[in-house]
Amino acid sequence: MPEPTGVIHDIGYQRYTGPRLGRRAVFGALYLHGLRTAFGLGRSAKAKIFPWLVVGIVTLVAAAATAVRSQIGEVVMTYAQFADNMSWLVIFFVAVVAPELVSRDLLSGVLPLYFSRPLPRSDYPVAKLLALATALWLLLGGPQLVMFLGAAFTGGDGMRGVWNELLDLLPGLLYAGLWAAVFASVGLLVASLTGKRAFAAGGIVAVFLMTTPIVGVLSIMPSQTINELAFLASPSTLVGSVGAWALGDLLGPQASVPIGGFGPVYAVAAVLLVAGCVALLLQRYRKVAAR
Amino acid sequence: MSTVSWITLRGLFGRRRFLLLLPLPAILVLLAVLSRSLGVEPGEWGPPVLVGLGLAVVLPVVALIVGTGVLGAEIDDGTVVHILTKPLPRWQIVLPKLAVAAGVTAVTVAVPLCVAGVLADSVRLGLALAAASAVGALAYSALFLALSLLTRRPVLLGLVYVLIWEGLLGSVVSGTRVLSIQQYVIALADRIAPTGLLQGDVSVPVAAVMSALISVGFTVLAIDRLRSFSVAGETS
Repeated sequence: MPEPTGVIHDIGYQRYTGPRLGRRAVFGALYLHGLRTAFGLGRSAKAKIFPWLVVGIVTLVAAAATAVRSQIGEVVMTYAQFADNMSWLVIFFVAVVAPELVSRDLLSGVLPLYFSRPLPRSDYPVAKLLALATALWLLLGGPQLVMFLGAAFTGGDGMRGVWNELLDLLPGLLYAGLWAAVFASVGLLVASLTGKRAFAAGGIVAVFLMTTPIVGVLSIMPSQTINELAFLASPSTLVGSVGAWALGDLLGPQASVPIGGFGPVYAVAAVLLVAGCVALLLQRYRKVAAR
Repeated sequence: MSTVSWITLRGLFGRRRFLLLLPLPAILVLLAVLSRSLGVEPGEWGPPVLVGLGLAVVLPVVALIVGTGVLGAEIDDGTVVHILTKPLPRWQIVLPKLAVAAGVTAVTVAVPLCVAGVLADSVRLGLALAAASAVGALAYSALFLALSLLTRRPVLLGLVYVLIWEGLLGSVVSGTRVLSIQQYVIALADRIAPTGLLQGDVSVPVAAVMSALISVGFTVLAIDRLRSFSVAGETS
């Protein structure tokens, strides 16, 4: 066997010696990209149709409510009621956005590329979840801001009126945050189970819509305890009940959600629901298949 | 049974994800049995279970997932090319797929609705609900099958119809109910078995004519669209 005569030439290959952005930058990039994906920013016009359809409708409703209030002086809906009245559109928005965030990555098999970066397993789903929750909060909070601006500066009470409106707005924004947390965690969990966007969207709608009639049936059962606990069965009524307990009159007449003395139970249930969904989501991404 | 319908059936049932559809009808039956066994008045639990759950949620959602799945899934995968390149007239592709979609939806929805109807009132109401939901399954399937050829996002557009048109607008603006398959189903079921449980807003002739018109019209549209179908990549 002859001696090897080849040489390795130095062709001037250089290693990257600049600063390396760490975990936080990866997380931030994923979050920002997720938030932009939610509204179709940086993507084709086709991807913008459905998110902006929903945004347009909620803004239109808020503008109409503001106009009615400033013209007639009648409060059509409070800030907190706004989220309740928009629940169908929130479900639709989750069904549009959640599959975009996670199902596309599953289908195209790019997850190994993500996880070959300095990115802990848990960061990917958490960043996506935060992006979806932020998008939902913006969807519900933005129109409330429109209502606030309309109400505060046409009231004619000066700074006192603005301050009162602000005190009404802040609980409304917090309540919107609760909506966002619950709907984002449930929706993203369902979407992460399948790579097909079509199936993910159908599944999300099925989960949210199927559970509402169960509440209707449970609340006519011949037992007052079951009636008062019936609203646990559906995410949207669960959130509504927590709001009724925590916000009280801001959500309209108390009698609309008869939960009796179970308010704290509902609050704990909402926290457990979000925590459980996040735990299952982390579990799902601990060992996700490449394809 | 033609090869196309055989392929379609295997595409639907071959994956485990079809099992995800089963909880929907199961919950319907479960709630009906629960209410009946606890002795709740049928007048109280009938409308939320039969209409609120069965006709307003289970029927459209199952029809949406199945109806867009029979052709839309193949378009997404790109495997529709294999069928399109065979020397088959387009109607021989659309009609078997429509038959499979409508059949699967009808069986999945009509059986639990029939059970719930029998528990709520009488055998007659059960059969009426089964027959009317079968008509509804055909109309919904034709609509969603055509949608999967008209747009690349058929499920979302179908959801706009089910959630916003039938759900949100249908409960506020009564005028939209004339163009709502859900209302046709309610009207037809109420006509076959008149009870106090179903409240139809549409007259029966309108419901019958419009259901037939939607079924035939969207099928013809789907056949026509498939004639000049161009295969494109996934939307960004």
